[in-house]
Amino acid sequence: MRRFSFFHLLLLSPAQSLTTLMLASPAVYVLWLSFTTSNYGLDPQFVGLANYENVLTDRHFWTATKNTFLIVNIVVYTELILALGMALLVASLGRWRMILFAVILVPYGISEVVGVLSWRFLADPNIGLLANAFRAFGGNFSWSRNVADALMLICTISIWHHLPFTFVILYAAVISVPRELYEAARIDGATALQSFWNVTLPLIMPAAVLAILFRYVFAFRMFSEVWLVTAGGPVRMTEVLGTYLYRVGFRFSDFGAAAATGWLMVIASLVLASFYLRTMYRASFAND
Amino acid sequence: MTKFLKIAGKAILICLIVVWSIFPVAYVVLNSFKFQRDIFAFPPRAFFTPTLGNYADLLSKYPDFFGFVANSLFIAVLATLLSVFAAACAGYVYSRFRSTALSASAFYLIAVRLLPPLVITIPLFPWVNQLGLADSHLILILLYATFWVPLNVLIMKEFIDQIPKELDESATVDGASEGQILRYVVAPLAKQGMVACAVFVFVFAWNEYVYAFIFTIQNAKTTPLILSELMDSVTGTNYGILFAAATVQLVPILIVVLALQRFLVAGLTAGAVKG
Repeated sequence: MRRFSFFHLLLLSPAQSLTTLMLASPAVYVLWLSFTTSNYGLDPQFVGLANYENVLTDRHFWTATKNTFLIVNIVVYTELILALGMALLVASLGRWRMILFAVILVPYGISEVVGVLSWRFLADPNIGLLANAFRAFGGNFSWSRNVADALMLICTISIWHHLPFTFVILYAAVISVPRELYEAARIDGATALQSFWNVTLPLIMPAAVLAILFRYVFAFRMFSEVWLVTAGGPVRMTEVLGTYLYRVGFRFSDFGAAAATGWLMVIASLVLASFYLRTMYRASFAND
Repeated sequence: MTKFLKIAGKAILICLIVVWSIFPVAYVVLNSFKFQRDIFAFPPRAFFTPTLGNYADLLSKYPDFFGFVANSLFIAVLATLLSVFAAACAGYVYSRFRSTALSASAFYLIAVRLLPPLVITIPLFPWVNQLGLADSHLILILLYATFWVPLNVLIMKEFIDQIPKELDESATVDGASEGQILRYVVAPLAKQGMVACAVFVFVFAWNEYVYAFIFTIQNAKTTPLILSELMDSVTGTNYGILFAAATVQLVPILIVVLALQRFLVAGLTAGAVKG
């Protein structure tokens, strides 16, 4: 076996320097910024925890936090259930399987902007197909005025975009369940539901947990869907943490408060991610 | 009878899935070929007189649009090359060597990737301005490439793990240098992994909105950003142009995704399920 040498360090350096330069060092600098007050162009002044105090006492921050947690939980678990159902259905199909598989992947290739564009027009209160259909059935859907409707639209768009990801992960798990197990269950007289509950579910659990964690971490940073649909309105009622951070930093030019928000998001993300990181580390890189 | 019900139930579910996945996309594409009066007709008309007028209008009223599409392509291609190169090199090392320091550095790569991307824009924004990189292609290329480096390293490691070490070793015995082994033994066999990584970066870079929104002003603008601006500025008479522009943006990337879906799925499962 070859020895680890300078050449190998060289091979690692592009990946490591890109990540350090573009992601890690700004993230660390944000921590410092969060203890300072700095407007664009001025030198940062140390202010201790004042930024955190300002953020944590801002009611818009709490609206954003509440919305974020609401959206993340709705999106992640709806996706999980839909993706699991779809995975079971696709796995049970014969020759149409690959076509349906390709169809399901379509939203993965679509830009968030185009997704929002399409859904926004579909749901347009005056001219949209969905809103008109709602009205035909006596309902009313107005995302530009009603906060609950707006959040529902945002969740729908987010689920639409990310369902392919969750689906692929769960589908891979579902088809890797050994066929013999189903046969054994059938011979033992298990119903379809029982064999799903006792055979499929336990075996796909690790993949399901992984999909949930991944989607938690990524849904938590949501920005585009909200920004492009409502921009946080009406009156900042649909703000999420991502748009809150953007507004505070880039619209109100309060980099200190934005940095504090950012660091609070980092801590929350790391807590969410730590479960995933632990499993990943054990599985792939543990030094044994 | 129950068998019939079962089949009918499945068929209904399949139709629902197809409508859900494809309708929002088909809606944009179809509308781009409609006359203004047909776009918002309710109930929608299944048959309409198609027109290329919206594309002609796009070309004449927004001649810059296709320049921005070229911009997007340039940025996406360079980001892809950079990211795949960095990930393949590092993936090789992580696949062939084990040590505490290496594990720690791999862990660091992945942990950093989980930071919310908006957070890093706060310090990057002034830095980028000071370095004169605001509104440059370079900053977007670097960001997009970096964003996929950690997961691509993981994916490349999984793929290179599949290549037997004995192959490297016998090449060494034959007197090949390590650079040659990488170039002539590992790289060709890890091609599938590299394509998978390339698809991820390319799709991401082509479609990305947040960084383009924050770091570009005019020169380096990408298509999604132009679309978002069009979306907020259209009124009454030019919805068709918006749908035409969106179609120009989405059709090429959709072809890429569907043509290379095999690699995409292989990459996702290697990077996520095994991890």
